[in-house]
Amino acid sequence: MEIKQEVVIRVKVNGSEVNATVSPEESLLEFLRDRVGSYDVKCGCKQGDCGTCTVVLAGQAVKSCLVLAAQADHKEIWTLKGLENDQLMQELQNSFAKHGAVQCGFCTPGMLVTAKSFLEDQPNPSRGQIKAALSGNLCRCTGYKKIVDAVSAVVVSRAGGCV
Amino acid sequence: MSSFTYIAPMTVEETLSILHKQGPMARVAAGCTNIMPEIVSKKITEGVLVDISGLDELRGIDVVDNKITVGALTTINQLIHSEVIEHRATVLWQACRQFADPLVRNRATLCGNVAKASPAADGVVPLLALEATVNVESLRTGKRELPIEEFLMGPGKTALKPDELILSVSFQAAQELLGFFIKFGLRKAMAISLINIAVVFELTGKTITQPRIALGSVAPTALRARQTEAFLRGREITPEVLSQAAELVKGEISPIGDLRASGEYRLHLAGVLLRRAIEAAMA
Amino acid sequence: METTVVGKRLPKFDAYSKAKGNIMYADDFSLPGMLYAKVLRSKYPAAKILAFNTERARSYPGVQAVLTSQDVPNNNLRAKFGQSTDVGANFEGLYRVLAEEKVRFMGEAIALVAADSEQIAEAALDLIDITYEPLPGVFDPVEALKEDAYCVGDNDSNLVSKFKIRKGDVDAAFEKADVIVENTYRVPCKDHSFIEPESGVAWIDENGVVTIRVSTQVIEHYRTVAEVLGVPHNHVRVIGTWVGGGFGGKEDISVESFLALLTWKTRRPVKLTYTREESFLAHSKRHPFIMKYKTGATKDGLLVALEAELIADAGAYTFLTPWVLLYATVNAAGPYNIPNVKVNTFAALTNNPFSSAYRGFGAVQPNFAYESQMDELARILNIDPLSIRLKNCLQQGDTLTTGADFGGYVAVSEVAEKAWQALGAKPAHKRKNIKIGRGLAIGMMSYGRLTFLHDTSRSYIKLELDGSVLIRCGIPDLGAGQAQALVQIAGEELGVPLEKIKIFIADTSLTPLAGTSTATRQLYMSGNATLKAAREVKARLISKAAALLNTEKTNLKLVEEKIVQISEPDKYLALSVVIGQCSADGDELYSEAQFNAPFTDVPISEVITGQTFADFTFGAYAVEVAVDEETGAVNLERVVACYDVGKAINPLNVEGQLEGGGVDSIGYALTEDFKVEQGYLKSHSFAEYLLPTALDVPDMETILVESGAGIGPYGAKGVGEPSCNAMAPAIINAIRDAVGVRITSLPATSEKVLWEILARN
Repeated sequence: MEIKQEVVIRVKVNGSEVNATVSPEESLLEFLRDRVGSYDVKCGCKQGDCGTCTVVLAGQAVKSCLVLAAQADHKEIWTLKGLENDQLMQELQNSFAKHGAVQCGFCTPGMLVTAKSFLEDQPNPSRGQIKAALSGNLCRCTGYKKIVDAVSAVVVSRAGGCV
Repeated sequence: MSSFTYIAPMTVEETLSILHKQGPMARVAAGCTNIMPEIVSKKITEGVLVDISGLDELRGIDVVDNKITVGALTTINQLIHSEVIEHRATVLWQACRQFADPLVRNRATLCGNVAKASPAADGVVPLLALEATVNVESLRTGKRELPIEEFLMGPGKTALKPDELILSVSFQAAQELLGFFIKFGLRKAMAISLINIAVVFELTGKTITQPRIALGSVAPTALRARQTEAFLRGREITPEVLSQAAELVKGEISPIGDLRASGEYRLHLAGVLLRRAIEAAMA
Repeated sequence: METTVVGKRLPKFDAYSKAKGNIMYADDFSLPGMLYAKVLRSKYPAAKILAFNTERARSYPGVQAVLTSQDVPNNNLRAKFGQSTDVGANFEGLYRVLAEEKVRFMGEAIALVAADSEQIAEAALDLIDITYEPLPGVFDPVEALKEDAYCVGDNDSNLVSKFKIRKGDVDAAFEKADVIVENTYRVPCKDHSFIEPESGVAWIDENGVVTIRVSTQVIEHYRTVAEVLGVPHNHVRVIGTWVGGGFGGKEDISVESFLALLTWKTRRPVKLTYTREESFLAHSKRHPFIMKYKTGATKDGLLVALEAELIADAGAYTFLTPWVLLYATVNAAGPYNIPNVKVNTFAALTNNPFSSAYRGFGAVQPNFAYESQMDELARILNIDPLSIRLKNCLQQGDTLTTGADFGGYVAVSEVAEKAWQALGAKPAHKRKNIKIGRGLAIGMMSYGRLTFLHDTSRSYIKLELDGSVLIRCGIPDLGAGQAQALVQIAGEELGVPLEKIKIFIADTSLTPLAGTSTATRQLYMSGNATLKAAREVKARLISKAAALLNTEKTNLKLVEEKIVQISEPDKYLALSVVIGQCSADGDELYSEAQFNAPFTDVPISEVITGQTFADFTFGAYAVEVAVDEETGAVNLERVVACYDVGKAINPLNVEGQLEGGGVDSIGYALTEDFKVEQGYLKSHSFAEYLLPTALDVPDMETILVESGAGIGPYGAKGVGEPSCNAMAPAIINAIRDAVGVRITSLPATSEKVLWEILARN
């Protein structure tokens, strides 16, 4: 057990193993963007106030700017791009496009990752529960309604209803 | 330029020896939702980041003889999903559901919220009402159990010594008690409480016994409203009693004004929310 | 007119790329050997700079350049905002790249660093020694206008601009009025809070052209950058990225000059991305206004006179203040027919953050005031909010207070009625302390730039030999569907499926200049330019087909990649066949078209008369609130928006504009207050500056009126900015309805509402 100036980590990002040396205070967000090149993870504030950098870490949606990269050692990380073959994610992506939930698109990756993670835990939420689930992700363009519409439509279609 | 180092102990014992050696240079990092913004905004620029996220012994929620212990690594989201917390510490459960936002709740720990000692901390106020104990340990002084009221010393200040680690918080299950938590913020998520309040009490007929009232963002630390509790103890709850209590509570808090609201407004809200919390707990 | 693509709720083509994470925003782009830039910013709102010393920073390992104002070839320019017309000093302020002897606001750029890493650049900032002598400064626009006030700039006056409207005789009219309402309204500083902070990468290409890939609403800043460097305009190229939100905050120049200077100096690629806090410090804000309103009416509720004095806080530099103030002046009386109007407006420099463009551009501030006034009048006269508006609002054939005519349909009554009626019967109060109230407000705002700017847009359309289509147009896309609209227009005209159309946007060297993505002008201007180009290409195809089919041109139409005879639909030519023939015959399969807005002269008098805008969009919001009488908390229960959009090219995107603009204004009404105390910013993060979250807003109901009366393509009007009108006053009027108090300053925080309720009791 020693105090380190830099930290060697081994993580799985979107299914691929990544070995890297990170600095002690480096955030998972910085690691993903600057070292892994995961530009689908957006940076809006670096302070946990906007949710654009949301990724799935060890099975949970988190704001990657609020996680030390070193803490991701031996963990699995999924970003938006890594989930491109995930069926629920694809349904959400199509629904976002179809319902006008994407304007500038900068909050979209975080919204989508949050929404997917939420629907996995809670496949049949109310509209209010969807809003609550997305309340850590800011959007300045859409006014949220079409984002909630898009998520609701996926819920309805998965329950066998028409979208 | 920032200069940090990093160490990730695997046991409490190792952690304690690191804290013993590093003293005030050590920065314990668990969920990191407090420390990361402080690093980014350069509120802290150096130190040894002691990553305790691997200390499995500090995980989880235990119940022994009606005493609930929440380990230092237990996240807010885990508390929300705990039936024990939902049914036997409802006031805490309610607070957790209004804590920050769902993404932060996946990382933030209750003990981290206690350690930060923000006067507005949503996790702390219910713990005050539950008369929780903060369990800490160091190599030098061993284990200590500090009543949370003694633990909190000022904004960002606690009784935790530099070489001490918070192991857990614990409190008596309160399933036979009534309780309610109200958060008042400027928006409905990602809000810092303008004021928050937790009440826990027992009702015998219409008479209140053992009232415990805690408020946040009304003084340098979250606090218990002892005089108001004393006034309510043994009284029958009537609208008059509640409005007297609402007046009384204003006398034992000293909220300041800040960007979010004036002190006067917080005083006003304290009275209103006290009455509402008691009414809601009885509803 | 029957359309096949226009008017459809189609997903934007860019929505898929964005949802898949495929869009490379400004900060996502890097180049080999790239340096990282940082900006040293003033710690004081007002100070003299006695000395710079950059020696320590320059010699720090890894630092490649440190620049101050002395290193800038042309540090002081007249600010341009993408306009290609010289509109004179009254409408163009100073653009100073880096501070010289005096800093005017907290966060003003003083020095630039380029280094091998972001960390090194940041460390170097701490090694630049600046000796300041703090100056008193002035922080209130009313104070700033006093004669002995501290001078923010280099002139002896802080007055930026003043305008007047004069119509009839207000004094005589007030004498005769049965009722007069007088109030002073205040609106705060508001931040755009686009989620993508300012960012760009610059490099020098193989031909020596300074190339800047940047998130901007205005690629035409390339001209300013060239002037800063002292090089010909064609030596600077700006490539606009897909913008992660703008709202006016990426209208003024941001990182472009800094990047150009650093890449010029180092000859290496340079990236500069602001942090969130820096973004707050660096870009403009919506103008705070103090607005004195006096409105007179007869006992039947007919308006007889309106007098208004508007004072705007321009902050530390002029930027777009004169234009914003002109908008406020022209919009000061609102969409009402008032026989006597007197408006005086002023804008003053202060040592606050500089104010400039913000979605709504000077129309929203007076809108809050005049719609509050109307509501108050209605209550005094016991007339319902809809009726008083219907009695007084502009109708077709009426004129503006400047005397300008409205060309087309004036939808004010229609939108007001539809929005208000959609609310239906009012529900009972929820609980004893929760009071329900309703409010209505209407608004008008221009789309398209001030007509004296002589605005133009160009677009290029080309048919490929295989029948696919390529569009080049210099529009920056901010997410509102700017590019998608052009694709739909081209698809409609050329009968080509949208997946066969590719559009290339926002490159000053390679796409025809389309002007700025500001002023709600792109659908109107570039939509018209694209329509014109498409129709030119279409005309050639039809001519060719007419010859081939031996029929009249009027007997042909383009549908589904075919040129079909209208009289005998089974007779047609495949589009590719006609294209092939055109190609063989040497006919042009492309067109670059220019659309010109109406042109007027630059105003030379303070008194504004005649036409200043090409057209207006009219809209209304009706809202329902629940107010907690014990805490003052306001919960927005319902919102209905009704706008005459002329023609919805894509209803999904039009609704998106109303919903987004509406929610932005919910923030204006209830939570957003960019706090500045004595010039020092108090809002540093999204934890302090409170945007509404998904939980804070109800699901807005939108009603689109499609009058076809707009001057955009297919009769469309612009809606992006007008959508910000009317929401804030509707909410404030609903609070008045619920608990009987009139909030005269935004935002209506629970505290403010509570104190008013207690004062009422």
